[in-house]
Amino acid sequence: MPEYGQVTQELRGKLEEIVGDKHVSESPEDLEKHAIDESLEPPHPPEVVVSPGSTEEVSAVMRLAYSERIPVTPQGSRTGLSGGSHPVFGGIALNLERMNSILEIDEENLMAVVEPGVLIVDLHAETEKLGLLYPPDPGQESGSLGGNISTNAGGVRGMKYGVTRDFVHGLEAVLPSGEVITMGGKIVKNSTAYSLLDLIIGSEGTLAVVTKATLRLVPKPRHTALVFVPFDSTRDAANTVSEIVRRKVVPYALEYMPRHAVETAQRYLERKLPDDSHPAYLLIAVEGNTVDEVESQLETVGEVCLEMGAEDAYVADTAAKQEQLWEGRKCLFDAYKAFWEIDEVDACVPRKHIPDYIEGAEVAAERHGVIVSNVGHAGDGNVHSIIARGELDEETWREVLDAVIGELIDLALSLGGTISGEHGLGLAKKRYLPRQVEEAQIELMRGIKRAFDPHNILNPGKVFDL
Amino acid sequence: MSEGLNVIVCIKQVPETTEVEFDEETGRLKREGVDAVINPFDEYAVEEGLQIKEKYGGTVKVLSMGPPQAESALRETIALGCDEAYLATDRAFAGADTWATSYTLGLCVEKIAPYDIVICGLKTTDGDTGQVGPELAQHLGVPHVCYVNKILGIADGKIRLTRLLDDGVETLEAPLPIVISVSKDINQPRLATLRGRMGARKAEIKQITSKDVDADPARLGLDGSPTRVVKIFTPTPLEGGDVVEGTPEELAERIFQKLQECKVI
Repeated sequence: MPEYGQVTQELRGKLEEIVGDKHVSESPEDLEKHAIDESLEPPHPPEVVVSPGSTEEVSAVMRLAYSERIPVTPQGSRTGLSGGSHPVFGGIALNLERMNSILEIDEENLMAVVEPGVLIVDLHAETEKLGLLYPPDPGQESGSLGGNISTNAGGVRGMKYGVTRDFVHGLEAVLPSGEVITMGGKIVKNSTAYSLLDLIIGSEGTLAVVTKATLRLVPKPRHTALVFVPFDSTRDAANTVSEIVRRKVVPYALEYMPRHAVETAQRYLERKLPDDSHPAYLLIAVEGNTVDEVESQLETVGEVCLEMGAEDAYVADTAAKQEQLWEGRKCLFDAYKAFWEIDEVDACVPRKHIPDYIEGAEVAAERHGVIVSNVGHAGDGNVHSIIARGELDEETWREVLDAVIGELIDLALSLGGTISGEHGLGLAKKRYLPRQVEEAQIELMRGIKRAFDPHNILNPGKVFDL
Repeated sequence: MSEGLNVIVCIKQVPETTEVEFDEETGRLKREGVDAVINPFDEYAVEEGLQIKEKYGGTVKVLSMGPPQAESALRETIALGCDEAYLATDRAFAGADTWATSYTLGLCVEKIAPYDIVICGLKTTDGDTGQVGPELAQHLGVPHVCYVNKILGIADGKIRLTRLLDDGVETLEAPLPIVISVSKDINQPRLATLRGRMGARKAEIKQITSKDVDADPARLGLDGSPTRVVKIFTPTPLEGGDVVEGTPEELAERIFQKLQECKVI
């Protein structure tokens, strides 16, 4: 355990001078609120919650923390799923929620400049008003962009557009020492020296505190349609995914849901989805600038589904109907959480191995007596295995959970996959890292961490052990 | 009922938007650049028609009055499983208020008769009057029930249904033929299927003009519309208000106090 300084009265006074009295809190409610994210990790309360309002304030807080050796955990809206924003060693929870301005939407360069506390849902709303789109669309819409950048979040549009990394063109960040660095900008190409920008994206707040981001936007296609397709097996659904891709149609989203997920969504939403009598489902979303463009993609998608054994499929063409279907997919994490104690693995495997992964996961679930619902971004191979406690008692559940998570991760790795597709390792999954990468890589990562953060004060205890 | 029931569903194509914009000068709706969809309330009417057919047999015909492009809305109802679709389209029909619209629809319903039940959505999202259903019944000389939220049964030339009113649920029995306007809680409209959409591509949408129904030109379109729009405006949304947070008990207490302060109780 590293040696850290304490948050004394004196230090608290200095923090208040930096951000103002109102924005420093030690109230039990605030400490409790900032002790957790949405993972199953037990709470880790900070000693103090500090809410800066500007880059300068973040810098001053870091300078102070650096000299006093106080651990600092940057936090956005704390919707992470791997414990990445838990203040494991107490210290300062650096709450970035106040830095929530969309500073600029530049329609000429197709870039948005945002502060880290902006919620993804708010950026989507603002860009859409201008006919623009910020494609990353993680299920948790109340997540902050700072958090999205720190985990390199993805979402349902990954298949066509890629992930957060593909859209971050510039960052301003505060180093643990308090120095402010800027990387990239409103530029499309950049071959100048090492990309620290890319190093910071996905670093889960362990290298620097992101205080401003320049994000690339794309024109928003005017028309969309969504198809809900029941299948008799996971294999049929997976073959359909491959065949759609082979026919050169690139849906903007292609989601897989097992029957258990459809039933759980229905129970949670208290309404029916179009079908709940098949073992496997795909949600296929297409888009285009004209109705004809969308219709022609729908035609190809339809042909493939029927050829691959689907009896029929349900088509939502209006925005309202699409929203109703999407709700069935997007509610799932909350739905499972409402009915069971849950944990999850968000492995990503090569697209063609999705059925192998899902079948293997189902076998593991059966063997251990837990519910595993494999809900996936079938188009990009990222499968969220939601593991639900079901009928198990507390003690058995804890043991079984560890075993199941380990098995699912091994399974994904054996198929050429990765431990986490978009949620990050944080606290919950960091111990699995040596299963995926060589010790030499981890040692390089340690070196990078030390170069950025020699005293290990920024989000310590995450991703890997020093 | 061995031959089933003849159902006619009336629908309208409306702009797909939650905020309808209009030209302040002319009072006309701005439809440019906005996709056109089936009036959301009418989707419930179509669904109820299909459910009646599934339960009692018979046919579901769909009728709409509108410009030629409204054909796409009718085609969609064929994709959903309706049997026939009719588009009343004629320059003479243009500019109609609810009275001229219901007169025209009445003539068309009689033309595509027989009918046991005519189903309308409660209102449209663009006009928002809720008048066409009742007026249509008037033109046809048959009974009408609004706000229908459940059909309990249809037998022996009578329909039993409930309707949701401000002060409760009313159960009614009425003779057929009848016109009903259905509310949004009556059912959950289905989605069109791929196969349904493929079949609908080839379906014939029959056109009805003013000549086909021997309409009185003086009662059609703008000329036949007694309504004059004097002013049209967007009501200002209510602003302000207090947001209170807390446990259900605390909230109940706060609301109670507030009501007392406002001398409501």
